[in-house]
This record gives sequence, C-alpha cells and structure tokens, in this order.
Amino acid sequence: MEKDILEHGLNLSRRKFISRLSLGLGSVALGSLLIPDLFSGMSGDSGMDFIPGMPNFAPKAKRIIYLFQDGAPSQLESFDYKPKLREMMGQELPASVRGSQILTGMTAKQTSFPLVGSYHDFKQYGQSQAWISNLFPHIGKIADDICIIKSMYTEAINHDPALTFFQTGAQQGNRPSMGSWVSYGLGSENKNLPAFTVLLSKGKGNGQGVYSKLWSNGFLDSIHQGVQFSSGENPVLYLNNPDGLDRHERRKMLDKLAELNDISSKEFHDPEITAKVQQYEMAYRMQTAVPEIMDISKEPDDIVKMYGPECLVPGTYAANCLLARKLSENGVRFVQLYHQGWDQHSNLPMEMAGQAMDVDQASAALVTDLKQRGLLDETLVIWGGEFGRTNYSQGKLEKANYGRDHHPRCFSIWMAGGGIKPGIVYGETDDFGYNIVRNPVHVHDFHATVLNQLGIDHTKLTFKSLGRRYRLTDVAGNVVKDIIA
Amino acid sequence: MIKSSYKGIAGNLLFALNIFILVLLVAGDSLVIPRWLQPVGRLHPLILHFPIVLLLLAMLMEYFRFRSAFVAEKFYQEFTTALLLAGALFSAITAIMGLFLSREPGYDGSDIQWHKWFGVSIVFISSGIYWLRSNTWYNSLMARSGSIIMVLFLLLAGHYGANITHGDNFIFAPVMQNAKPLVPIDQALLYRDVVQPIFENKCIGCHNPDKLKGGLELIDEKSILKGGKSGKLFVPGQPVISLLLQRIHLPEEEKKHMPPSGKTQLTAAEMQVLYLWVKENADFKNKVVSLPAGDSLRMVAATFLKPAEAPEENYDFAAADEKVIKKLNNNYCGIYPLAKGSPALAVDIYNKAAYTPKVLEGLSEIKKQVVSLDLHKMPVKDAELKTIAQFENLRTLNLNFTDITGSTLKDLTSLKHLHSLSLSGTKINPKSLDQLHSFKSLKELAIWNTGLSQAEMLALQNANKSITFITGFKDDGKPMKLIPPQVKNTVFVFSKPVQLVITNPIKGVDIRYTTDGTDPDSVKSLLYQPGILISDNTTIKTKAYKAGWYGSDAVSFSFYKNTFKPDSAALLTSVNEKYRGDGAKTLIDGELGGMNFGNGKWLGSQADIEFLLFFKNAIKPRTLTFNSLKMIGSQIFLPSEIQVWGGKDAQHLKLISTLIPGPQKKDDPAIVAGLICKLHETTPLNCMKVVAKPIKKLPAWHPAKGKPSWVFVDEVFVN
Repeated sequence: MEKDILEHGLNLSRRKFISRLSLGLGSVALGSLLIPDLFSGMSGDSGMDFIPGMPNFAPKAKRIIYLFQDGAPSQLESFDYKPKLREMMGQELPASVRGSQILTGMTAKQTSFPLVGSYHDFKQYGQSQAWISNLFPHIGKIADDICIIKSMYTEAINHDPALTFFQTGAQQGNRPSMGSWVSYGLGSENKNLPAFTVLLSKGKGNGQGVYSKLWSNGFLDSIHQGVQFSSGENPVLYLNNPDGLDRHERRKMLDKLAELNDISSKEFHDPEITAKVQQYEMAYRMQTAVPEIMDISKEPDDIVKMYGPECLVPGTYAANCLLARKLSENGVRFVQLYHQGWDQHSNLPMEMAGQAMDVDQASAALVTDLKQRGLLDETLVIWGGEFGRTNYSQGKLEKANYGRDHHPRCFSIWMAGGGIKPGIVYGETDDFGYNIVRNPVHVHDFHATVLNQLGIDHTKLTFKSLGRRYRLTDVAGNVVKDIIA
Repeated sequence: MIKSSYKGIAGNLLFALNIFILVLLVAGDSLVIPRWLQPVGRLHPLILHFPIVLLLLAMLMEYFRFRSAFVAEKFYQEFTTALLLAGALFSAITAIMGLFLSREPGYDGSDIQWHKWFGVSIVFISSGIYWLRSNTWYNSLMARSGSIIMVLFLLLAGHYGANITHGDNFIFAPVMQNAKPLVPIDQALLYRDVVQPIFENKCIGCHNPDKLKGGLELIDEKSILKGGKSGKLFVPGQPVISLLLQRIHLPEEEKKHMPPSGKTQLTAAEMQVLYLWVKENADFKNKVVSLPAGDSLRMVAATFLKPAEAPEENYDFAAADEKVIKKLNNNYCGIYPLAKGSPALAVDIYNKAAYTPKVLEGLSEIKKQVVSLDLHKMPVKDAELKTIAQFENLRTLNLNFTDITGSTLKDLTSLKHLHSLSLSGTKINPKSLDQLHSFKSLKELAIWNTGLSQAEMLALQNANKSITFITGFKDDGKPMKLIPPQVKNTVFVFSKPVQLVITNPIKGVDIRYTTDGTDPDSVKSLLYQPGILISDNTTIKTKAYKAGWYGSDAVSFSFYKNTFKPDSAALLTSVNEKYRGDGAKTLIDGELGGMNFGNGKWLGSQADIEFLLFFKNAIKPRTLTFNSLKMIGSQIFLPSEIQVWGGKDAQHLKLISTLIPGPQKKDDPAIVAGLICKLHETTPLNCMKVVAKPIKKLPAWHPAKGKPSWVFVDEVFVN
C-alpha cells in the first residue's frame, strides 16, 4: 500500500515535473525582461549612476584643501577641553573607562596609566564659545568660521595604517587616495594644472614619514595621481626642459611622440597610452603655469602679515598654505598638505607648542584669505591628524613634561567652508577624553560627508577593478547631515 | 466544489508566481520597471487587503481543520483549500506589485526592507502550506503552528506597510504630544516662534484664562504686558530686576521658583532666550533675522528654528547645446554645468598670457547659461565689461586683480541677477562705486586691497546697507617677527674671493651682520650691501630689521678658504657603507654636509679614517682644516686624535702635525667644527696623509658606553 502511494506520487511527478519546469522557466524568462542589463555583460555597472567628471547633485564645495597634521596632534591640548583630567592629574585611568581598548607596543607594558591634563590652558572663542587651547590663538579667532568635530574615531592605532585609512579609505594601501577619487569623480577644472597636488612640510617635533603611496592613484588612471610640489628650484620634478632643449624643440618632440603613441594606441587599445599622452601635454602647459603659481613675491604685505612672514620661506607650512590657496584659486580640485612632526610620545608640552606655532597662524590665515576672496563657500578646508592621543602619560609623568600614546577612540578635527556649518562644535567625549558619548564620526562617515559636499553620492562613486566595484567608503559611511549648512 | 482542472491551473499559476518572485528578489537593485508597468505596482496598496482577509480566514479554518467535527465535513475541507489557494495567489500578486512599487523613487529605509521580506515570506509560507497540507504526515500540530506563524507574519507585514504609508506612530500620534515642525529662521518672528512656544510648553498650563495662577495669563502680548498679582512681568531692557527672570532663576527648592518643582523645568537655552529677549527690550513684532548677525539672542533663537532654506535656484533658461560647450571648453577656459542636468554653467578663465578680449566674445553662444564667471588675475580692461553685461543670467562675477578701473562699472547694472561681485586688487575709486544702488540684486562686494581708505569703505557700507562689503584682513597692529636673512651663495669653500649674497623676501628690510661671532644689532652692526667680498675664512652672523617689526633670529654661515685644492684623493681605510658618500672625492668636492649626516656628503666610520691627498704642483701649506661633526646624542664625536703626514709621495711621508681635540661633554651642542691642524713641514709637498681616530671606548655617562664613537668628515681644506 505504502509503495503504491509512493509510486502514485512519482507518477504524478513526471508530468508535473515537465509542466512545472516549463512554468518555472517561463517565469524566469518573464522576470528577466525587467533586468535590462542581464545579458549585456555590463550588469549593474555604475555607468547609470555616475559619470566621471560630473557631480551627482549641485555641489556646495568645488575644491578641497586638506591640512593633514601628520603624526596625530593631541586633541587634549588642542580642541577637546577636559578640566577633569587636570583635577585627576596623576591618578590611574579607571579600568571601566579603558574598557577593552588594546594599547600599542609602546605603552602596553606600562604598569601605571597616570591621567594627565593639558599643560596648556584653554579659552572660549567666538559666538560659538568653542574651547580652544592657548596654543592656537589664531584658530581661536576664526572659531565662528569653523566646525570642530570632537568625536572622530578610527580603526587603526599605528601611524601607517591610520594614515593610509584616512587617505584611501582602507588600511592596507594600494587603493586610490581621496584626492585621486575626487580627481576621478570631478575631473580637473584648470587643464594647466593637475587636479590633485601634494605639498609637504616638516616641523621640529617627533615626526613620522609620509610616503607617495598616500597620494597614489591605486587602480584609477594614472592621470589621477597626486603631483608633489616641492620647495626647491624645481617645484615639480622633471617638469623643466632638459638642458639644450628649448620650448619649441620640446613641442616638436611631443608632437612626434604623440603620433607614435597614437599608432600604438590604435594597435593595443590600452587606455594608459592616452593617459600618458595627456600627461605629457599637461606637463608642457604646466611649464608656464607652475612658475606663475610658485611666485609668491607679488603677494601684498597684508597677505604676508596674515600668513606670517614664514610664508615667504619655501617649504614651510605657512608657505604651503599660501601656495595651497593659490593652487586652489587656480582650480586645483584637491590640495593635500602634510605637516610632519606631531607624534609627541614624550616632551609633549614643549614640542606641541612648537608644532602649533608652525601651523596656527597660517591655517587660520588660509581660511580668512579664502573668505575674503569669496572662495570659502566653494572650498572645503580640513584640518586634522590620523588619530588622537591617550589621556594618560606615556613614560614618566612630570608636571611640565609628559607624553601621550596613540588613541584611536576619539580625536578632534575641524573643517571650514564648503557648505559645512560654521561656528559649531559637533560630538562630545566623556570627561576623561577617552570615549565618545555623543555623535561619533567614523573615518568612512567623514569621507562620505566630504564627497557629499562635492556633490558626489559616496555610494555611486565607484570603480570596477579585479572584478569588484570599489568605493572610497568601501561598504560603509553615512553622511553627517548635522554639520551640513 | 471547484472543478479540479481550475484548481490545477491555479496551482500552476501559484508555482509560476513563486518563481517569478524569486527572480525579482535575486535581481534586487538591477531591476528596472518600465513606465507602462508602474501603474501595476501602484495598485499594491489596493490589492493588499485581499490576501490579508483571505489568508486570515483561511488560517482560522486551517487551525481547526483536524477537529473531529470538521474532518468529515467535505465542504469545510474544500472551502479551506480554495480559500488558502486564493489567499496565496493574491499574496503573490500583491508581493509582485509591491516589488514593482519599491523600485520607484522615495522608498528606502529599514521599514521597506522589513515589509518586503515579511511580505514575500507570506507568499512562500502560504504556498508551502498549500502544497504540503495534503501529505499524510501533515498533522494537527503542524496545521496549528503553521497558521499561527502565518498570522504573525501577516500582522508584521501589515504593520511595516502601514508605517510606510502613514508614517511612524500614525495611530498614537493624536494622543501623544506632538512636536511642532520647526519654523525656518528667515520666516520666524521672535515672539511668535521662539518666545511664545516656550510659554506655551512650560507655563501656559497654569497661566491661562481658565486657571489664572497668580493672576497671570501668558497667552498673548496684551496679557503678558499686563502682568499678574505680583506686578509687571518684566521691565524691558532690564532682565535683572524683572520678575519673570527672578522667578525662573530662583533655586528649584524655593517656593516661588517657576515652573514649580515637579513640573517640566525650563532648559538652560530657554532661560537664555527669555533673559536675552527681555534684555533686548521684549520685542513682539520683529523677525529673528532683523537682529544683527552676531547677536546673542539671534544665535540662541536659531537653535529653536530650522536653518534658512537656501532657495534652490530655479533657472528658467534652456540648457546650451553640449557640442557647443565641448567646443568652447579648452585648456584656458573651463566651462562646466553646476550639476548633472542643470542648465546653468560656471566659467573659469585661466592663464594671463592666453587671455584676450576675444575669449569673452567667444562665449556669446552660451551667454544665457553662464551664471558664474571667474576672471581673477586676467588682464581684463574696462571696455570688456560691456561684453560681460551680455551674460544676462550672471550671479557671481570675480574680477579680483584685473586691470579695470571701475569707470565702466555701470555697464554691469543691467545684470539683474548679479548678487556677488569681487573687485579686490583693482584700481577702483569711491566715485566709480557711486552707482552701487542701481545693482538691484547685489548682496556681496569684495573691495579689499583697492586703495580705498577705511573711511571710504565705511561710507560705502553706510550708503548701501543691503550689501555686505568684504574689506579684507586687518592685522591687530602687534609687531611680528621678521624671518631671518637667507644666504644665496652656493659655494662656501673657495680658493678665490667670493661675493656675499644675502637676501630677505620681505620688502624693505635692513640686513645687519657681524664677522666676529657676536649677535648683530640694528644700529652699530654692518649693513649688508651687495658687492661685499669674502676673501678669508669667515663666519657671517646676520639678522634682519625693519621698522614696525621685531628683528629676526640670528643665522650664521661660514665660508672656508681652500688655497690648495688637492688634485685627487684616495681612501686608505674603508668607511661605513651607509656613510661613504662619493668615496674620497667627497672630501675635496667643495660641498659641505651641513647637520644632516645621512645626506651622502659625509664620510663616517667607527674605525680610523685614513686618506691621501695628492697635489700635482708642490705646495707649502701652513694648515689643514679637518671639517668634522659633533652630535653627542647620535654617538658622533670629534676624533680623539688627528695626524697629518706629508712628503713627496705616498712612500715618503713623515708626521707633520698631531691634533688632540679637547674633552667632549654630555651636553655639548651639535656643531660642525673645522679642526685646524698647524703643520711644521717647510719643504714643498706633493702628498699628504690624514689619519683621524675615533674614541675607542665611550665614557660611562653615554648610553652607548664602552663602544667606539663615530667620526664624520665632509671636507678638508689646505691653506
């Protein structure tokens, strides 16, 4: 009996199988009609959402100047005022506050974690009444033009991965830098200059290196690579004609070379060949554009006073700020500055004062200068390092001498212009300056917000490489709407 | 009850729809719904009621299906089957419609995701039950649990669906206190939209015509001004003696503290608003934005209001032909739309050398579309403003640092949308700005660095209240420190006299210097003038001075005379491979190493350094200078001993000098020291040998005690 039932079931199944199969296939076919790119091999390629060189929506900012403070300035001596730490000077960091935080090899073996308050005093500035340390009096004066974010946090605890994370959205390197993404996303404004330029300077404080991988184009076209401007006689390396070759000859050489490249381009269809030709041409135009930019001798006196006289010494942070303004004013999309020397594991009160001296006036002047040129609305200025520093002393704690180790859980940055709300302080950390208690902003959120200000939806700015579409924000990131004006 | 063939067809249809839904789910975001199919999606909210009712009823019957009273009831059984089939079919159709609808813009967020997955689960579960329920193993327990799950899913899908249509908390919204939508700041009245809402939320419960505590009403201007039993509520302009503020600032324990303890208290910001409102004369009529921009009351009030909505500019002109834009775009002229799909164009012109008035004339094809034009630092002349006036929709115009004089500025008055004009760094005069009032929409004008005096700018501001003038940076008058002079000489080792070249990038500074190692001062020290010759070993110490500035830090640099330049040199010992520079050549190349010992201009070793110097023509030297580095922290010490040998050739050398530098201490500063060895040989030489010995064992105070020191040398000079 049981067998009969089973057989019956099977008998039914054969007919059913055929009819169901046809039904199923029919449904699949019907459904596939609604997926337009199913068989084009381009399925889901972001071509629909994103056209390189065109914002998704009306942008607030057209350009970015990123004043990167390399080495991670202490938030506790700059923008995150914690009087409690002074009161509790020398007492142990409570285990409940530290939680599960893993420390670096430099302090992990330390037996005691004595809390230490800022050696430098704080003052409130502007209508926003933002607390800013006495090390940054000029930035204090522009408090109503900037938005201080006290609740940044990151995932890395060592310089290189943290820096790489900030610059490329991934800790491991080999991804395109933020500036390259912007160059790819928006294209260049002034075709006589690269869309992404890099300026380096170095303070006297304990420093960490910066490497060209930070401004690499990764898998994007090499035309999006950051171009480093240096302070020497040749600001852009290999830009000048070699000895014995004049401009006219150079032109003829480039024309011939372009013909040859054109032939191989037709043969191999490698887009890098066209990119190369474009780069040669841009370099040729840069030969006249760059000297004009680099000439700071014509800046009026009040501009010199504004940035501080150091701005006339090539290679200083102040000179780079002035140069950044000039580059930005001339349509460079992304100017990346790095100021090295913020890694105060010891001797923090003294060293940090020196570092602050290097950057305070010029950073503030840059914002003021852009403002008076009517450019602050369309230029986003960002100031900050790669992570924060611990609220306890690394090494021996003395009254006027202590150090701070790396701290990824909270740190402060500020932004100005580019449609960011001026005169606000966003986010809050606990009384110990160790954990964020309100409005945390992850590095991915920061990237998403910056792209948003440029009119780019961070989920749509993608590039397909090695079979996967990549974004600056990887698969995360939320625009911090509260800081957008 | 129903013909089995219909049932078969319906069953097959259900199967097909299930597969179809699966395809749609797998396709996910790649799904594109054609326009003609969209109305089908929009029927979702209509059709969805059918599966809810049908399935609820079917599940109720399914739940009791195995009751003995119903098992034999043929109608009951068949009706349940048909009901379930109909419900499942309708749920499938509804789900498909829903999936179509979700592809339309405006449906994102977590609610829609939950609704989607609960919805399609209903289809799969109901279909599953339908197909499995006739199996022999399907019993009462399964029927009951299946129906309970089904009903749960129906409720949840319904709940999330309702949230999408009606918004969160639709049902209880009327009984819960609802926050009013914030008023945009540019429309808000100070009293109506900031002050009164505070009274309404925190005070009016007791101070209204029905309750009238303390004889006080706070419902409108009249009643507020009238005050209560204890007197007037406030004295305009004097918050400190005003009853209202006294009461709210009393400690909460006090009996007279308002609002009474136990009631919702005022927040700090609300107290601030009331205080400032009274302080600024308790105004009842004005707008918040009528207060000056930096006003405290305005700033605090702003936190209760919505930020002004920047009106999205609506451009009422057609977009330009893309081909035209492409044609006009070139290396010196960037033209790009403000955003994807926007007809408005921004134009930036670059490169002074490439600019001619023709560049502007060439843009006439897009004159309607240009809303922003940037010409800063281009040699734009007065006459060209006429051309610019043709860009009728221009909003922003940047003429900073151009060659205009302002005499033709009135040409631009025809630009009725122009709201931002930058004229900084030009030669405009106050007269040319007389016509400012005829710029109808102008809101912002930059005029710094124009030669206009402070008073003239003030007069302009007073005459044109609606325009914001950007007048530039004013330093606070405190003197700043000059930067040190910079030496432009590239050669510091010479055999013939060299000219001293010192500059300072700041205009009009005095450069003072000394040669005796003392700090230069601004009065007595020598004033640098071009043309000064250096003919001997010299250390220049120099400072910059300028009236109104603090003097710069002192800098010093040394020039070394090298009368007898060796023709060649050879190393006899090997130096450390990290610090081997260009071998022996490094010692006689005339290039100094400075303080950076890793730059390839230094030779360094922890063992003896021995080298030979050769001279083609015999010389009679008096001294040999051994230029060495001292950096105690980096284990770099001056040599413990230097020997100089001399003779006709390398085989015939005798010792002609021995130098033993003095003791070196822990806190010695890092320096480059030219150690001078006096030579006693008087016969002519063709060859010299130098031996420099490190300290064998570093003293106990050094962290690297017991190890040998490093010796670094970058150059030797023979005089």
